[in-house]
Amino acid sequence: MMAEINRDVLRSIILDVLQEMGGVHEAPQFKTNIGESTAPSAAPRHEDPTGDDSWLQTGGPAQPGTSADEVVIAVGPAFGRSQRQTIVGVPHQEVIRQVVAGIEEEGLKARVIRVYRSSDVAAVAVEGDSISGSGVCIGIQSKGTTLIHQRDLQPLSNLELFPQAPLLTAETYRAIGKNAAKYAKGESPTPVPTLNDQMARPKYQALSALLHIKETKHVVKGKPADEVRVTV
Amino acid sequence: MKSKRFEVLSQRPVNQDGYVKEWVEEGFIAMESPQDPKPSLKIEGGRIVELDGKRREDFDLIDTFIANYGIVFDGAQQAMAMDSKDIANMMLTPSVPREEIVKICKSITPAKMLEVVSSMNVVEMMQCMQKMRARRTMANQAHVTNVNDNPVQIAADAAEGALRGFAEEETTVAVARYAPLNAISLLVGSQCGRPGVLTQCSLEEATELELGMRGFTAYAETISVYGTEDVFTDGDDTPWSKGFLASAYASRGLKMRFTSGTGSEVQMGQAEGKSMLYLEIRCLYITKGAGVQGIQNGSVSCIGIPAAVPSGIRAVLAENLVAAMLDLECASSNDQTFSHSDLRRTARTLMQFAPGTDFICSGYSSTPNYDNMFAGSNWDAEDYDDWTVIQRDLKVNGGLIPAREEEVVAVRNKAARALQALFKALGLPPITDQEVEAATYANGSKDMPPRDKVADIKAAQDLLNRGVTGVDFVKGLAKEGHPDVAQSVLNLLKQKISGDYLQTSAIFDRDFNVISAINNRNDYQGVGTGYRVEGEDWERIKDIPNAIDPRDI
Amino acid sequence: MANELEALIRQIVSEIEGAKGNTTQYSAPHTSSTPNTTVVDRVVTIKDYPIAKKHPEWIDLGQGRDLSHITMDNVMAGHITMDDLKISPSILKAQGQIAKAGGRDQIELNFSRAAEMTKVSDKRLLEMYNALRPYRSSKQELLDIASELDGLGAPICANFVREAAENYERRKKLKGDN
Repeated sequence: MMAEINRDVLRSIILDVLQEMGGVHEAPQFKTNIGESTAPSAAPRHEDPTGDDSWLQTGGPAQPGTSADEVVIAVGPAFGRSQRQTIVGVPHQEVIRQVVAGIEEEGLKARVIRVYRSSDVAAVAVEGDSISGSGVCIGIQSKGTTLIHQRDLQPLSNLELFPQAPLLTAETYRAIGKNAAKYAKGESPTPVPTLNDQMARPKYQALSALLHIKETKHVVKGKPADEVRVTV
Repeated sequence: MKSKRFEVLSQRPVNQDGYVKEWVEEGFIAMESPQDPKPSLKIEGGRIVELDGKRREDFDLIDTFIANYGIVFDGAQQAMAMDSKDIANMMLTPSVPREEIVKICKSITPAKMLEVVSSMNVVEMMQCMQKMRARRTMANQAHVTNVNDNPVQIAADAAEGALRGFAEEETTVAVARYAPLNAISLLVGSQCGRPGVLTQCSLEEATELELGMRGFTAYAETISVYGTEDVFTDGDDTPWSKGFLASAYASRGLKMRFTSGTGSEVQMGQAEGKSMLYLEIRCLYITKGAGVQGIQNGSVSCIGIPAAVPSGIRAVLAENLVAAMLDLECASSNDQTFSHSDLRRTARTLMQFAPGTDFICSGYSSTPNYDNMFAGSNWDAEDYDDWTVIQRDLKVNGGLIPAREEEVVAVRNKAARALQALFKALGLPPITDQEVEAATYANGSKDMPPRDKVADIKAAQDLLNRGVTGVDFVKGLAKEGHPDVAQSVLNLLKQKISGDYLQTSAIFDRDFNVISAINNRNDYQGVGTGYRVEGEDWERIKDIPNAIDPRDI
Repeated sequence: MANELEALIRQIVSEIEGAKGNTTQYSAPHTSSTPNTTVVDRVVTIKDYPIAKKHPEWIDLGQGRDLSHITMDNVMAGHITMDDLKISPSILKAQGQIAKAGGRDQIELNFSRAAEMTKVSDKRLLEMYNALRPYRSSKQELLDIASELDGLGAPICANFVREAAENYERRKKLKGDN
């Protein structure tokens, strides 16, 4: 039952943030069943700060790419660290695995960077496309919201936008990678089929805001993006 | 043992919705937050040096813009010295004219405004809304979209919506590059349903203006403003860039309003620990200061946030009311989904439906909800009869009129044919007779044959590159046998010259007579005054097709 | 705000406060040099509304053409382009006075900026708007736009952009501040 899961998830996130703010010292014990119906992963929502994030190693400052056959994947400041899965529990590692696979299927290379300046999905993507060799970037927020952006577009415009994070599955992320690569090759692919669930807002909007607030706490103004080495 | 009662309750739609307890520090509070500023205003040497407890040197961009443009100094000290409850009571007293209240409201600060509306319950707010609405006659706005950006379906749904009474229609895109085609389809379809309907296409700011300049749209609405500086920046604008944009629209003779809403700052993660309503009031002062005639507000796409906390739906009514108090046109949301519960979504809408606003919904989905690309609407095409029956029950004008199947089928067909002709004239990918037929009888995109999206997108881009404008639509429609539709499109384009519809709350009737807060001023002053459902309006509202005529039995 | 002039004064006061470099004094906005500036001198009130119905003679499309020129026949004959379907500065001024007469002072100021903007091309206007968005421009780039607007006879807009430049500098919204 969604309502119950939400409550637990919400509590855990609120506690997380309060802990970060130094408001709560007692480690909360939560058992969350998220994933049974909606999520492909059974990973617990409450993130273990000592958990394994070795699949995602931060390198030095991201440099402008020179090869036209790369697509940059720009992730938000909390991605894979303080948050490890999307709003419906798709693990971040799986998200990256699928997007990279989609790009590589088209014969292009993927490069992952982490953006610190903003947690806004458009701002994240715009920083990515500014250093992308092809000018194309996929921006991904930790809650899962994703868009494909190209350098010559206004920040809040896009090639394709996937605003409803709760509807994004592993397959969608793969298709997004594939289409981004096609744009980078100068092709005009058929857009990834648009998903629309009018009941996503009632169910998820408040949760989405909490996740976004949490990610925004990791924003470092003025800090340029870092290169990220991923093991998928 | 588990309670069977609770088991049943847990299955109810209302328990599918997400709720959150107040979290003051992160602004997860609708109104009346202990962290909201207290009212204060100090004017020295012809400028505001202190606003709501903040000194000028500490002003952020929003404070500065409000201090420079948003508050009328004349009478400000007296207005600020009034008790907030007294202001509320004056507003609530029918015999005190609207103008008198507006004069006070123009000179008080955002925190004072917050105090005034926070002192009221929802019934008092509704009574005030009835009086403070800018235009005497209420209206409604439709959303016209579909998951596939199918242009023929957009035209048909726009025509039906126009016939059913919407004064404005808004489309947006599933895929941004489709925008020019969606805009054309909406324009043509709307004029087939009822000449004089205003149309817009919600897009990235600069693109939206460009389409307006080219005559693809008649007005704009998605010009978002926010209540904290950080969120405003994430929205890729500042009060000055938005003010400049507002003037740019007016300079091209295009109507426009801003958009804002409670919860947007929380949604975007930077609420500075203030209540949603306080931040929204700042947005309304920016709108006022920019000299923009109106606002779309009422949480809009963020409705899930205020709806999740206590008194959230009351805050949404309060923000609509503040817009009216500031003498702005108010397109009062009631658009996006926030609840699985039919009871809850109806209760939410009654707050604006009963007193009437300039646009009760901004918009009402003219398609089934699965086709609403604003991520779902609180009201959709499948609720048309519920809406018109509630109007009839309460003798309220909610902006719609009951429609007959044969009329609806006829205008849908007319719109699909007109668009087919225009696509041909403009050299766009052809619309087949089969598509026209499907759109005529369709409920939603599931009833439509697929189109070649790649070809459509390429053609849309090409259309812009070729410099095609509204004048070409007029020519194309006339040349291909639709002179009446061509004339309506021309009439709409012509409105940009005289600028009459730049005035507050302007819409057109079917003969392109402008109806605005200037010549249709809300003159409510108690029982028997203001707008009344009577005469032709009442005849149309009560005439639902499925009522039995006792004389026939 | 009592009127357009007072708004200008306020703008200038805040400019002086912000920077010492740009203290040019502006009086009332320059009237434009288009043929029909006479409307500005009229006292326009809400009785004159709607202009299309009450005062079609105020609308001057140039070359002796008025609103009645906009017909289907003329469109089909190719005599009308989008350029003919534009509002003039004098009509914007008149609508501003109507708004003010209806108690809406800020709308008048908006329409005064708009009247000036009619002199800026579509393309350049979009560029100026984009330049005013956060992190797009250096202070000098914004001041250059202000000078350009002054040169076009758009002092209210010019001051508006200068005011933005001062505030962007103070609040770190200039190019490179993010």
